Amino acid sequence: MEIVAATLILLGIVFFFGAVIGLLRFPDFFTRMHAAGKGDTLSTVLIIGGFILYNFSQGGDAANWNVLVKLCFIAIFIMLTSPTSTHALMKAGYESGNDPETLDDEEPEEKEENVS
Amino acid sequence: MKKLAGIVVFTVGLILLYGVSSLDDFPSWGTPDSPANKSPLSQYFIKNTIVDTEVPNMVTAVLADYRGYDTMFETVVIFVAGLGIFAVVRVFEHGGASRVVTADTKPDIIITNTCRLLIPLIQLFALYVLAHGHSSPGGGFQGGVIMGASFILVALAWDLDIALKRFSEKQAFICSGIGILIYAGFGLASVFLGEEFLNYGIIHKILPGVDSPEMARYYAMLGVEIGVMFTVTSIMFLIYGLLATRGKMTAGL
Repeated sequence: MEIVAATLILLGIVFFFGAVIGLLRFPDFFTRMHAAGKGDTLSTVLIIGGFILYNFSQGGDAANWNVLVKLCFIAIFIMLTSPTSTHALMKAGYESGNDPETLDDEEPEEKEENVS
Repeated sequence: MKKLAGIVVFTVGLILLYGVSSLDDFPSWGTPDSPANKSPLSQYFIKNTIVDTEVPNMVTAVLADYRGYDTMFETVVIFVAGLGIFAVVRVFEHGGASRVVTADTKPDIIITNTCRLLIPLIQLFALYVLAHGHSSPGGGFQGGVIMGASFILVALAWDLDIALKRFSEKQAFICSGIGILIYAGFGLASVFLGEEFLNYGIIHKILPGVDSPEMARYYAMLGVEIGVMFTVTSIMFLIYGLLATRGKMTAGL
């Protein structure tokens, strides 16, 4: 059980790492939010799932059940709120005229990279 | 210029590190002989809080009972902050001169539905934080901020007009005043029963079902925290509304 928990937590950290790289490397606002939103949600839920399993493996006295239920609630609320806030940010970005990058934009950006 | 600033920051940082680490007049971390722990006052609180007030959380007991005056006027400070922002920012539209800000987009269906689901839970959690201030971290200020955030969430997800329909400006100001009156009311009740202001122990004479001064202090602390929560909730919401709409209190963002 503890090995499974540790695997889940490590997997969560891997996804966090992917989210960070996406946030830094993707070209425009929307792809960055995509990386941040998805990676963040999944990795947080995975890490909390690992905590839950670890807690479960420690035996079932009252305090542990208390922590376990709270962790479940945290996971549920993060699964609800994180995608919603990503959606809200995306919509706000789109409505304030932040156009997504398309294939047409690619060439000038490469030129810019060459210049710099 | 950047290098100069860097040098200054670095030097100051080094001095600070030296100041907090190597001097001998600072006690080491967590030692029981630190001056703050050795003083008779903190020893008194550690030993007698549970005896005096039946409250396991010392912080709440010190904040709402032993140091009640301070917390009461902290609440007044929050009230005055709300009033001050109201006085500085609020614009009443007499002529047609001022620009009317209207919400040009419809509220988003995903956001509003998630908020519909979450806002009751947020408010329930606020009440939990308030009521659990005695035995775990929490209390009136924290619960009030969470409760105020739930109203702000209504204003963010729909718009301010809809939030104001549920909790109008006038109601918010009345509620913030009521909060302070609840707090002062507990103080005055103990004065009328023959004790000092905010010395809650005597209230057990009028509280039904409470027979010891200790439990009276316990419940009076809860009452006082409820007063704090009223004030903090409404002032949080007011400050958001006033600042987000530049004092017009319509539509917004």
